[in-house]
Amino acid sequence: MANQSGSVYGLTILSPIKDDPNSEVSPNLALRIYLAKLPRHRGSPFAKVSSTHFARLVVMDDVVYVGMPACEEHLQSKYLVFESNFDGDLDTYLERMAAEIPETVDAVWKHCVGFPGAADVAAFKAYMKKCQIETTFFFADVNDKTVQQTLRALQTQSAVTAFIVKHQGTPPSELQAAFAHFMEKLNKAPAPAPAATLGKEFVDELP
Amino acid sequence: MSNINGKAYAMNAITPMKPWKTWILRLLLFIFAQAVRTSDLKKLSFIHFARWVIVPHRKFPRISSDQPKENLQYDYLIFFSNFNGTWNQYIDAFSAVLSTGLDAIWWWSEKFPGAVPVTPFKDYIALVQFETDYYYDAYPHATTNDVKAAHRVKAALDELAAPSPNMSADEFAKSYLQFLTKVQGDLGATGEPPVGT
Repeated sequence: MANQSGSVYGLTILSPIKDDPNSEVSPNLALRIYLAKLPRHRGSPFAKVSSTHFARLVVMDDVVYVGMPACEEHLQSKYLVFESNFDGDLDTYLERMAAEIPETVDAVWKHCVGFPGAADVAAFKAYMKKCQIETTFFFADVNDKTVQQTLRALQTQSAVTAFIVKHQGTPPSELQAAFAHFMEKLNKAPAPAPAATLGKEFVDELP
Repeated sequence: MSNINGKAYAMNAITPMKPWKTWILRLLLFIFAQAVRTSDLKKLSFIHFARWVIVPHRKFPRISSDQPKENLQYDYLIFFSNFNGTWNQYIDAFSAVLSTGLDAIWWWSEKFPGAVPVTPFKDYIALVQFETDYYYDAYPHATTNDVKAAHRVKAALDELAAPSPNMSADEFAKSYLQFLTKVQGDLGATGEPPVGT
């Protein structure tokens, strides 16, 4: 299936945006204003749906006219494009969106035609699937590691680098003891949060 | 700028295709998918995730009868990429390394000039690109190479740690040295991206 590469799913959603000529702020502009203020790092709603590697939300105003001799044509609706790369299957991901970030989902998709709200999970899933476009070709460079495995690996990389620097020239018996202590601390360290500063706090506390 | 988050850049590009040509492209992309693990796309190693999506002219989602019906002649090819580095570096690398593959994919799009020479190729991509409004990255301080290196370090560390409690100090020192030799190329630091990417 082209939506899947290894354990990573590539979701592409095109949701038609409402057209309301009588509103003071058009729905597509209101959506853009909301997206511009949405936190992108540790406070991002997608950090809560922690299986998300990368995600984007894009207002697509129109198709592109590339010039003569191509025909010029235009869309009748603007579309919200949701592109996400996440671990696991689509149903679980949509259920997590509805359960963990319902306010964000409602605030974004309320500008779209026919959005039923996140509270009715079955209707939300059906809506999203109706808006889904099958990915024709999906490439994931690392497609066998979850977000959490990658965050843990990046934390380990930082910690190991600091340990190596600190213990250059340490005699074997001391090195072995320090390594055992290091591994104990590393294994007990809390899992790094998505979109956070990676491992820096932890490295400062290294033995 | 919302196209950038940390060390990743989000690109979106849309190009029109005559509907009869999309079937050729579908076949080509199916063939490419079979060989992707050994492809130049993989070897470039600065793309976290990328996709090409064909939207047939009659398949733009129509959710309710109130929504005006689309009346399009072309199918549309949408390209999404999550890559490291600057836009110019990305397009330059695409043109230099992947021109044959990109030509095979975009050749079916109207007025595609070819990936080489690079100047008209850049002009075309700039024309068909549209901006990202919101971009999330779970590991914004890491490039694709950082991610792959970190997983190698983690695997090597696990290999060293498992038998280490049962080793003598000298045996451990020897294994530790072998570990250092193995991971020495993978210890680069992650962190804030340079300004300008």
